[in-house]
Amino acid sequence: MDVLDTALFIGHGLTTTLQLLVGGLVIGLSLGILFSVCRHRGICRMPIRCYVSIIRGTPLLLQLSLIYFLGPSLGIHLDVVGAGILAFGLNSSAYVAEILRAGMESLPIGQFEAAKTLKIPPFYAWRDILLPQVVRRIFPAITGEVIALLKETALIATIGGADVMRRSQMIAAEKFTYFLPLCIAGLYYYGLVRLIECGARRWEKRMAHVAH
Amino acid sequence: MLRINNVSKMFHGRHVLRNITVSIERGCILGLAGPSGSGKSTLLRCIQGLDIPDAGTVQCAGRVGFMFQDFQLFPHMTAGKNISYAPQLHGTLPKDVLAACMADLLKKLGIADLVDRYPDSLSGGQKQRVALARSLILEPDMLLCDEPTSGLDVATTNDVAELLHSVRPKIATMVIASHDLDFLVQATDRIVLLREGAITTDIVVRETENPVKYLHSHYCTKT
Repeated sequence: MDVLDTALFIGHGLTTTLQLLVGGLVIGLSLGILFSVCRHRGICRMPIRCYVSIIRGTPLLLQLSLIYFLGPSLGIHLDVVGAGILAFGLNSSAYVAEILRAGMESLPIGQFEAAKTLKIPPFYAWRDILLPQVVRRIFPAITGEVIALLKETALIATIGGADVMRRSQMIAAEKFTYFLPLCIAGLYYYGLVRLIECGARRWEKRMAHVAH
Repeated sequence: MLRINNVSKMFHGRHVLRNITVSIERGCILGLAGPSGSGKSTLLRCIQGLDIPDAGTVQCAGRVGFMFQDFQLFPHMTAGKNISYAPQLHGTLPKDVLAACMADLLKKLGIADLVDRYPDSLSGGQKQRVALARSLILEPDMLLCDEPTSGLDVATTNDVAELLHSVRPKIATMVIASHDLDFLVQATDRIVLLREGAITTDIVVRETENPVKYLHSHYCTKT
């Protein structure tokens, strides 16, 4: 098996890696937004705080293992990718909720008050005035969270998911050569991270007029 | 018309306003003077409804516009969008009428060429005008201005005084809070001096001889 074959074999794992990343992000962002809005409005503040604390205070590997191995005994039957998406999504939601909370708290109170004095209804104030500014402020942190999530998807290898990392380990175990497959896996991850960074930078430039 | 009756407000156990009673009639420009922390901004916020008084009542007729000390323009919107967003949302005026009103207002305030610029590219005086236009486009019956000359140079401060006079026919009543006595004497009809949350002096500008000197002499009077 030459370098190209090795790269192609490992590259097939990108499908799983991207499924985990996108699925995890969708769950993470949706729940993170929901949690932060609830907290901001004083709904279920304590349970959400406990959830965030527990998720951030325990290893992701433990959470992934719990969902995959204990899920069936609780009646939740998920395949490897499904369990991964759920675990990564739940984990990410706690971090996103904290990032959003910090973003909302960093907005000057005057912006809320200006919207109020102009008699702008709360829904429109959030949609058109407050959220665009929050998004601009938290964007670098969210980009960091996306990159962290991408790298964390490699943990799926521990429960048998055939992602980029797992496939590189398979080649290493078969050929007893670690350097090449691990370097190729590293290049795939690094390439994806660079893509995310470039996309984020372009978007930030477009949003540059939104003051800090 | 504005009636403030026995308004008191406390923050963290400290009296910020003590039994404030002031009334002004339609057409009057009232100045609130006083050093920092004397309660000017809190009184304005109570009139607007941003703060609720612990005691007393505030009655004002009609719509109230508010100009913040630091303008609070929306940084992600152009100056034009900052001005037109609220009336467009409220939909009280047909689009063409709103566009005509806006063009007229922008011309009057001298900011017609700024509509496509974002707030962070505007000077203090320009932001001031945009903030004023944003308040005026909603045609308020009363306008509250919190430190409208804060951070502005002498020439721009004079411009603001002239500007407020120029919009007088459009607004029935104005309340301006400022620690700049020269500006208040120039821009208002009546000045109330606050100290430690209480009114210490109340003068009609035209009826007072050398009002700036008079106010200066009362500026540090203990309540």
